[in-house]
Amino acid sequence: MIRRTQNSPRRVLVIFCHPRPDGFIRAAFDQVKVGVRAAGADIRVHDLYREKFVPELSAEEHRTHSQPGVADELQQHADDLRWCDTLILVYPTWWSGQPAMLKGWIDRVWAAGVAWELPEGANRLRPTLRNVRQLVAVTSHGSSKLVNSLQGEGGKRTIFRSLRSMCHPLARTHWLAFYGIDNYQTNRRHAYLDKLAAKIERLVSESSKRPRLQR
Amino acid sequence: MRVAVILAHPNRDSFAHEIARRATGGLIAGGHDVELIDLHAIDFRAAMSTAERAAYHGQSPILDPLVQHHADLVRAIDTLVFVYPTWWSGLPAILKGWLERVLVPGVGFHFDERSGKVRPGLTNIRHLIGISTYGSPRWYVRAVNDNGRRTLMRALRVSCGLRTSRRWHGMYAIDTTTEAERAEFAAHVERAMSELR
Repeated sequence: MIRRTQNSPRRVLVIFCHPRPDGFIRAAFDQVKVGVRAAGADIRVHDLYREKFVPELSAEEHRTHSQPGVADELQQHADDLRWCDTLILVYPTWWSGQPAMLKGWIDRVWAAGVAWELPEGANRLRPTLRNVRQLVAVTSHGSSKLVNSLQGEGGKRTIFRSLRSMCHPLARTHWLAFYGIDNYQTNRRHAYLDKLAAKIERLVSESSKRPRLQR
Repeated sequence: MRVAVILAHPNRDSFAHEIARRATGGLIAGGHDVELIDLHAIDFRAAMSTAERAAYHGQSPILDPLVQHHADLVRAIDTLVFVYPTWWSGLPAILKGWLERVLVPGVGFHFDERSGKVRPGLTNIRHLIGISTYGSPRWYVRAVNDNGRRTLMRALRVSCGLRTSRRWHGMYAIDTTTEAERAEFAAHVERAMSELR
């Protein structure tokens, strides 16, 4: 059955990962928040460095990784991930992927009982983040688009293939990347940042107008 | 040859640890000089700190003596071996963080100020070897593109140079493998390492 959803506000979770309190990605993060608020959406934010997130998966977590649940200090992260319908990741691309801090957030929070379950007797994971209907990446690359293509765009694939496979089957993906940050002049950065808030606002508000397939 | 084996698994009784031991044994049997670095055992910090990020583009980007030791080692060796479990099609955070913190400008690569290009810094590395375990079967790993392998075999290889050889050993669908299959894989890895020239 296809029906239009009520005008309930979108629920947006923004994960921000950068060690420095200033700079391009920080400015992008501010623009993302402006865009989400302009769309009238509810927003929850995690600033991983400010929260002193621990990215290393522990031996205990590994031993119990097939049992549902996360470490106590990660419960809010897990709840927010189950709450949102749009997930926006804001981070710099390092070594063609997510920084260790953000990779650790994925390793530890996207756990059994949060992102997937393995029912008794099954041999394939069952995705449980059906609430996530939109995945957005806002990232910067030091090198050009060509170099990143040659390196295989691993970070993009991690989000759009691996993470997406745990989300709603019709989840949409948006790649808002800025390439060649090491070489370009500041005016191109400004142009990217100037458009970013409006782009995010459009993505978030359009997603609430789209008819939805109810299952 | 001088070889460094970088191991990234939190559990000492894991198959990755077993593989790292066997790989090290094979390398020693082949007459090589091996240093095994167990990142969890030495409490390696995965996340680049704010101070490290601030120093990244400066004259001395390394602030931690442990990281300095690893950087010196990486510049002195001929072969780099990684042993890790693939999680979310990529490297565990602790190994990703090792790349970020150790292979900084001046070690992993050099910025050419004039052209703005990046030049390889690890031209001493002759062999780049990855050994990984996967929860998923091989076809699925290929479908989602094995991004950890890409990071090491493509992005890191750019820092070494085109003459660097690449080898990959993958143990797929590990949860459904038999003990005999795992033993066979471990023996295969040990043999391959002992035959490395």
